[in-house]
Amino acid sequence: MNLSNMAFEGLFAYNTLVVMIGTAAVGFAAGMVGSLGVLRKRALVSDAAAHVTLAGVATVFALTGKRDLPVLLAGALCAAIVGVAVLVFLKRFTRTRDDAVTAIVLSVGFGAGIAIVAGMTARGVPGSAGLEHFLLGHTAALTSGDAALLAIVSVVSVSVVAMLFKEVSLIAFDQSFAAATGWPVAFLDYLLVVLVAVMVVVGLPAAGAVLVTALVVIPPVAARQWTDRLVVMLMVAGLIGMVSAVGGVALSAIVPRLATGPVIVLFAAVIFFVSCLVAPKRGLLARVARSLRSQGIADEHG
Amino acid sequence: MSMGELFSEVGPIHGWAMATAALVSVGAAAVGSMLVVRKMSLLGDAISHAVLPGIVVAVLAGGQPGGPLVILGAIVAALLTVWLTHVLRRGVGLAEDASTGVVFTTFFSIGVILLTSVASQVDLDPACVLYGILELVPFDTVTLYGCEIPRSFLNSLVVVGIVGLGLIVSWRLQVFVAFDLAGARAAGMPVALATIVLLLFTAMTVVAGFEAVGAILIVAMLVVPAAAAELLVHRMHHVVCMAVMLAVTGSIVGYLAAWHLNTNAAGMIAVVLGFEYALAVVFAPADGFVSDLMSVAWLRWRVACEDQLAMIWRFEESAGVRRVTPPKGLIDCVARQWLAVTGQIRSKNGQWRLDSYSRTKAESIVRSHRLWEAWLGRHADLPLDHLHPPAEFIEHHLGSRLLRQIEDDLGQERRDPHGSDIPPEQ
Repeated sequence: MNLSNMAFEGLFAYNTLVVMIGTAAVGFAAGMVGSLGVLRKRALVSDAAAHVTLAGVATVFALTGKRDLPVLLAGALCAAIVGVAVLVFLKRFTRTRDDAVTAIVLSVGFGAGIAIVAGMTARGVPGSAGLEHFLLGHTAALTSGDAALLAIVSVVSVSVVAMLFKEVSLIAFDQSFAAATGWPVAFLDYLLVVLVAVMVVVGLPAAGAVLVTALVVIPPVAARQWTDRLVVMLMVAGLIGMVSAVGGVALSAIVPRLATGPVIVLFAAVIFFVSCLVAPKRGLLARVARSLRSQGIADEHG
Repeated sequence: MSMGELFSEVGPIHGWAMATAALVSVGAAAVGSMLVVRKMSLLGDAISHAVLPGIVVAVLAGGQPGGPLVILGAIVAALLTVWLTHVLRRGVGLAEDASTGVVFTTFFSIGVILLTSVASQVDLDPACVLYGILELVPFDTVTLYGCEIPRSFLNSLVVVGIVGLGLIVSWRLQVFVAFDLAGARAAGMPVALATIVLLLFTAMTVVAGFEAVGAILIVAMLVVPAAAAELLVHRMHHVVCMAVMLAVTGSIVGYLAAWHLNTNAAGMIAVVLGFEYALAVVFAPADGFVSDLMSVAWLRWRVACEDQLAMIWRFEESAGVRRVTPPKGLIDCVARQWLAVTGQIRSKNGQWRLDSYSRTKAESIVRSHRLWEAWLGRHADLPLDHLHPPAEFIEHHLGSRLLRQIEDDLGQERRDPHGSDIPPEQ
C-alpha cells in the first residue's frame, strides 16, 4: 500500500467526511455573513475579534480544565464580544485613531492569549499544548459531535441572515436612510457584529485565530467581482467559502503536518485572484477587452 | 528585593534576553510613532504578517535568520504587500481594510505552508513565527572581541541603529509628510520616497523583532507604546521619546513578569504594553478620563458659583424686588455654602450681600449675560422671552474680547432688551 492510498483512505474515513461537512457549513455561513461585514467596512474588526478569541479559549480551559469544543468556543465567543466592546469603547471615548485601536486590541488580546497558553504549558497542565491548534487551525482532532455543533450554529446564522435580509442589507448599504425610516440601526449593527463574531468563533477550529478573518473577508470580495446584486453576492460568497473550507480540510488531511487554516486561505485567495482576472464586467480580462474594443471604435471613427 | 538583588538574580542570560527585547522595542516604538500618526497602524500589522514568506524564501536560499539576506527578503515581501494592497484598492476597487485583510492573510498562509512543507531544511520554528522565542535568544551567540553576544541582539542593534539614524536624518521630511501630506506635496517634498523609507524601516524592524517576539506581538511593540505616548504628550519628538520610554519599560517589566509567572515573555510584554496604554487612557494629563471628569466637574462647580453670585447681584440691583431663591440642586447648595464660608457672600438681616471682590465677579457675569441678550435681540429675531435661556447658558463662556466686540456692535445702546442696565467693564 503506497502513501497516496493511505491518504485517500484517511480522506474518506467517516470522521473526515463528517468534519468536512461541518466545515463546509461553516465556510458557507462565514462567506455569507462576512459579505455583510465587508460591505459595512468591518473587515478588520473581525481580525481583532479573532485574535482575542485565543485568550477566551485559554481562560475557559484554565478555569474548567475541559477541552470540549462547545465550552472552548463559548469562551472564545465571550472574548470576541468583550474584544469588540473594548474596540467600540476606545474608538468612541479616546483620541486614539481607529486603525491604532484595532491594532492595539488585536495585539494585546493575542499577547494575553499566548501568555495564558504558555503559562499552562509550562506548568504541564494536561492537554494545554493542544490549544496551539487554535492558532492555525487543525481539523483532524474534531469529533463528529463537534462538526455537528459547527454545522448547527452555521445553519442558525444563515437563517438569521435570511430572516432579517431586508434589514441587514439596508444597514449594509445606507445607514442614514435606515435610521431616517425608523429602523433600529444600532441594534441591527450590533446584531451584525455579533453574527460576524459567531462566524469567527465557529471558523476557529478550521482556520485558527490568526487566519480565520480570511474566511469572512476573502470569499465576499471574490464574490463581489461576479455580481452587483446582494442576494447573488451572498450566495456566491457562501459557495466560495464552502469550496475553500472543503479544499483546505481535504488537503490538510492528505498532507501530514499541514495546518488547515493556511490551506483554506490559499484556496480562497486563488479563487479571489482568478475572479479578479476572469469575472465578467469587473474582471481584468473583461476590462482589457472593453478598452481594446473602444479603442477600435475610436480608431474607426478617428 | 532591591534593584541590585533583582539584577544579580536576573543574571546574564535573562539580561541579554531583556536587552534584546528592549532594543527591538525601541526601534519599533520609534517607527511605530510615525505609523500611528500617519494612520498606517494596520499596515504595520499587515507587514508583520506578510514578511513571513519573504523570510522563509530567504532562509531557504541560504540566509541566516536576522541576516542581511533575510532582511532583504522581508523588505521585498513588505513592499509587495503594500503594492498589492494598493492595486486591490485602485484596480479592483476594494475597501482599504478588505484589501489589507486579503493580502496579509494570503501572504501569511503562503509563509506557513512553505515553512511546514520545508521546515526540516529551515532553521525556523513555526511557533517562533507567531510568538517568538525570546527565552532562547541568549543561547545563540557569536563571539565579538572576546565577548559572547547573542546573534539576535547584534542583528537588532544594527537594524535599530540604521532605523534610528534614518529617522533622525529624515525627521523633518517625515513629520511634514505625516501632518500635512498635501502641503508636503505642494512644497515639492519627495513624499513617495518618505513613505517608502518608512515602509523599509517598518519591514526591517519587523524582521529584527521576528525572532525575539514573533510576527503578531511585534505589532504590539509598533502600535501600543506610540498610541499611549500620543495620549500623554503632543509634540511629535516628545511622542517618539515617550513611546521609546514606554516600550523599554514595558519590555523589561513584561519580561520580568513572564519570568516570575513562568510564561511566554513576548505575550507578557504585549500585555504590559496594553496595561500602559490603559493607564494612559485613564490618567493622561490632558486627554485621560480622570482629567476629563475633573474638568467637567470644575466647569459645573464654576457655573454653580457664578450663578449664585449673579442671582445675589440682581437682588441687590433690584433693591429687594427680586428674591434670592433657595439653592435647587446639591451642587448649588454646596456652592452657596462655599461662598458663605469663604466670605464672598454674607447674610445680613436674613438677606444675602456680596463683598467688593465677589461683586466685581458677579457684575462681569451679568454683563456678559445682558450683552448676549442684547446682541441676540438685535440680530437673532427671537421673541423677548426666548433671550434669557441661551444667555444663561453662554454667560459663563464669553471672553472679554468678544464682549467688547458685542459692545461696539451695539453702539450707544447700554440696556438689554428687558430694559436692564448693562454693567460696564471693570
